Amino acid sequence: MHESDPTVASGRHDVNAAVAVARDAIASATSLDVLDKVRASHLGKRSALATVQRTLGGLPDDARRALGALINAARAELAELEAERRLALEAQRDSVVLADEAVDVTLPARIPRRGSLHPVHETTEAVVDVLVGLGYKVLDGPEVETDWHNFTALNSPPDHPAKSLSDTIYVQPLTHDVRPTPDGTTGVLLRPQTSPGQIRAMLDQPPPLYIVIPGQVYRADTADATHLPMFHQIEGLAVDTSLSFADLKGTVAEFARAILGTDTELRFVPDHFPFTEPSAQLLARHDGRWMELLGCGMVHPNVLRAGGYDPEQVRGFAWGVGVDRMAMMRHGVTDIRQFVDNDMRFLAGFS
Amino acid sequence: MRVPLSWLTEYVDTGLGVDELADVMTSGGLIVEAIDYPTADVHGVCVGQVRHITPVEGSDRLSLVDVFDGAAEHRVVCGASNFAVNDRVAFAAPGAQLPGGVTIDARRVFGHASEGMLASGRELAISDDHRGILILDADAPLGADLRNWLQLDDPVYDIEVTPDRGYLLSIIGVARDIAALTGAELLIPDVVPATGGRTVPVTIEDAERCRRFEVRTIEPVTIGPSPAWLQRRLMAAGVRPVSNVVDATNAAMLEIGNPIHAYDEALLAGPELVVRTARSGERLRTLDGVDRELDPEDLLICDAKGPVALAGVMGGEHSEINDATTVITLEVANFAPRTVLRTARRHQLVTQGSMRWERMVPPESVPLAASRCAQLITDIAGGAVTGGADHYPNPAEHTPITLRPVRAGEYLGIDVDADQQRALLERIGCDVRPDGMQLAVTRPAYRPDLELEVDLYEEIARIHGYDRVPERLPSTGQVGGRTPEARAQIRVRETLAGAGWHEILTAPFITDNDLAALGWGEDDRRRQAIALVNPLSQEAGVLRTSLLPNLLRIARQNANRQVPGAALFEVARAYLPPTDDEPGAPGGPDDVRLPFEPLLLGLVGYGPFEVERHDREARAVDVFDLIGACQLLARRLGRPAIVPLATAEAPFHPGRAARLTLEGRALGVVGELHPRTVEALELPARTVVGEIRLAPLLAGGVVQPQVSEPSPLPGLRFDVAVVTAASVEARAVEAAIRAGAGPDLTDVALFDVYHGEALAVGERSLAYHVALDNAERQLSDRDEAAAIDGIERSVAEQVGGRLRR
Repeated sequence: MHESDPTVASGRHDVNAAVAVARDAIASATSLDVLDKVRASHLGKRSALATVQRTLGGLPDDARRALGALINAARAELAELEAERRLALEAQRDSVVLADEAVDVTLPARIPRRGSLHPVHETTEAVVDVLVGLGYKVLDGPEVETDWHNFTALNSPPDHPAKSLSDTIYVQPLTHDVRPTPDGTTGVLLRPQTSPGQIRAMLDQPPPLYIVIPGQVYRADTADATHLPMFHQIEGLAVDTSLSFADLKGTVAEFARAILGTDTELRFVPDHFPFTEPSAQLLARHDGRWMELLGCGMVHPNVLRAGGYDPEQVRGFAWGVGVDRMAMMRHGVTDIRQFVDNDMRFLAGFS
Repeated sequence: MRVPLSWLTEYVDTGLGVDELADVMTSGGLIVEAIDYPTADVHGVCVGQVRHITPVEGSDRLSLVDVFDGAAEHRVVCGASNFAVNDRVAFAAPGAQLPGGVTIDARRVFGHASEGMLASGRELAISDDHRGILILDADAPLGADLRNWLQLDDPVYDIEVTPDRGYLLSIIGVARDIAALTGAELLIPDVVPATGGRTVPVTIEDAERCRRFEVRTIEPVTIGPSPAWLQRRLMAAGVRPVSNVVDATNAAMLEIGNPIHAYDEALLAGPELVVRTARSGERLRTLDGVDRELDPEDLLICDAKGPVALAGVMGGEHSEINDATTVITLEVANFAPRTVLRTARRHQLVTQGSMRWERMVPPESVPLAASRCAQLITDIAGGAVTGGADHYPNPAEHTPITLRPVRAGEYLGIDVDADQQRALLERIGCDVRPDGMQLAVTRPAYRPDLELEVDLYEEIARIHGYDRVPERLPSTGQVGGRTPEARAQIRVRETLAGAGWHEILTAPFITDNDLAALGWGEDDRRRQAIALVNPLSQEAGVLRTSLLPNLLRIARQNANRQVPGAALFEVARAYLPPTDDEPGAPGGPDDVRLPFEPLLLGLVGYGPFEVERHDREARAVDVFDLIGACQLLARRLGRPAIVPLATAEAPFHPGRAARLTLEGRALGVVGELHPRTVEALELPARTVVGEIRLAPLLAGGVVQPQVSEPSPLPGLRFDVAVVTAASVEARAVEAAIRAGAGPDLTDVALFDVYHGEALAVGERSLAYHVALDNAERQLSDRDEAAAIDGIERSVAEQVGGRLRR
């Protein structure tokens, strides 16, 4: 029968020989590179097995089937051996080669270079975000203001001490026909508060009005640990048909809790500002002490009139809050002058 | 206002604890800033009596004093001489404690043992007097602890007084509010009038500014120190004791709120006192020893020889109370706030008196102040009132204010009806009468600040209690938000911070020299800086027209502090005289011209932008970091690319500065500073700086990027190197490539710049990665060849270049 077919016998011999050689080659491969070559030469197109396989076409069916099965079995065996060897060699490589490539991951990493935002501006934006959340629209106004917008329209008495050169910084008039005043003031000044923005907003648009005006303000103060001649305020103004003092209290309290935390102890006590009546201040307990957080009140009828509104038709409330102290509290800064010193080592702390 | 509790209790006794009372006051708008105990540190000091005084031999000052403390005699060495045998004195035995942490020891003085000391007023912190020891009243009980006898543990409330509530600058005013807030009884002393008798006649020439003028003559008085209890009270209230009569005028002012002046009647030239304004050339030497030239606006009190007092501000030195005074004339007047305020400011003389006038003292307080002061003087300086007259030509009338109770309730958001409102207002002394649906409210005399209906709303809320006002959160009925420009500005700042730049903040004050130092000529708009009238210093005389001076100052300061490198930015305004194209904000009814306030972005850098690392060299900041930062902003804001154009202008290096443009519009200039500027301003070498106007980048807010979808087919990627004259700008070369590469071009990116041996002198080669993509069809080698041919022609035509193959 075909068992004794000389062609088959010769083929079987060749296959067995090739398998034996391949087994040795796989077993003795010492690296993945060598194993790749072994795989190519013993299992690839030019291997001995492939050579035998190419003779199958000329064989009778029986012989071809018998020899074909043998070759397949041989391939399967070698493939399995090769895979085993590969696993072993990969494990070996992992333990030696990759170990050799190890890096010290505690070396300084490559943190992408980053700058920083100024803490006062960041605090301003955080506060404004709260008010935007309550539905207020954000406006701004000029820093160089007129006496009228800053004092007269805000119901300041003509001799208000804040108007003097020792409190407010004045600039030279921009027209030449301005007569000098005995007290040295010029009618043009660096705004000492964001409140003139209220007047501009009212003159600009009809009620209702729910606005917030953040900005830089100035006072003729010498700089010390708690004062700067330039500082920052945020002004809020609401004017509508039926707003009340209770609405004011609720708004500033909600605002304070959003900034300082919902469990902050607050106190709402009388105060005085020329542009509000009644006036109040909100105190917050911080580090065991009552701290002035903001001044506020119902917009004075004279202020509504200056803004072109009728105080019998609409009423409203306004408040102003200092940003710089809040920024100091937020970041544990004890000397306000750090904010304008701009030392890189300070700024880098906000990266 | 400093209010000793013992003094306050004479007018209102609430029975509340020290802190409870502070709480009531703060809730009612009498904000207690501090409670202090100025004399509470005194321990172990008792009332002693001087028994013997023996001079110490060999000393012209010291004496040995035997002092009896009720139980035993003690011998002390004393350097004062203002006392006599039998005087009661403050005896501090060894172990006694005085303010400031001083403990008294037994010690030897001039060879004599001293068992303690006799204390002066200053040592006990009850007066400023250290010329002699403190003499106590003859009725002081021997051996009594001085703490009890002089109420040394008396708390003092320091109350913040707002400008509208002048009445709180008096003990009685504070007491009135506390009575209204707590319901406790207000104890007001009776007025003892004094009219007739012999006194100084008065003529008021200016009844507008002097509304009332009461005089009282008291004689004979004996001038000397006030009793210790009064000295302590005055000191606690912040007023230095002087002498009994002067102290009495101050004490009555502190109590009632009406400033009072006492003249030595013998030193008045007679025949009357005239209240009038100053005549030109008149002078007055005031109590503080300053010879003052008077202004025609100053209101004066004059006698036959001329001014004797600056009305409401300070008395004259000539008629001042002195040790020999026996007959005094009290002036208890009322002056208009503006007059006093202006005079006080003009003469830079803010006194306890002027401070009160400025906050409106009502003329009705004159009789009580006069009565109280006269009583104090006769009590402590002897004598009696021998005459008086009250000149009050136009008594004040108070027109009622109409209060609409329904509106008041709505306005305040509290549930308080008309009857309750009436009761609340009556508690502060208002006269309230129903008037139909409304209330007619007449204010009490001591509250001249109550003028409008809303002023009454505040009083209703205050006496009802601000803490009882409910909290309501109104709906704003709108979506809140920033303007698109403000949102874009935040994106600018966040982008720069994310790209390695640190934000700084500077005040806008510079000097014109700062601008001149940057090489800008007189006619440069940036030299038209607006000057301040009252700058805080000479280094801050004008408003900035440019961010550069401050940026460079901060860079220098950091470099001087050994900070090796910095990359800083600032977004802030400059202030320029307005023009038709660049107007300022509306100037109000007087049409005042306001500056144009453009928003600028400034950048400054020196030293390494990328620092040296174990795996990388340092890289110094240069002009490309500045241009790149601005170009990144344009991209993040959805704008067209910012195009840099070479520029040679001050203060920059002529070959390393760029004018940045957006769609042909100039934004500003960035660059490396000229080496001479670097040297002159003492900056680190190769400092880079620049500023741009932000408005064109921010206008309309962030523009959302519109994108082209990438081709799904593989495209072509190849490189070209273009050789041109070195003077040809890269921008032109890239433009030529783009023009020649055909419609499928999707990207051109420079990756190498080469000068050198392979090229002719004056030539350079720029090498680019080029990408072609076509979503419709597979691109082939032929497309690549066509694109390269096109590029070759284009660079030849447009920039005179050739491809390097």
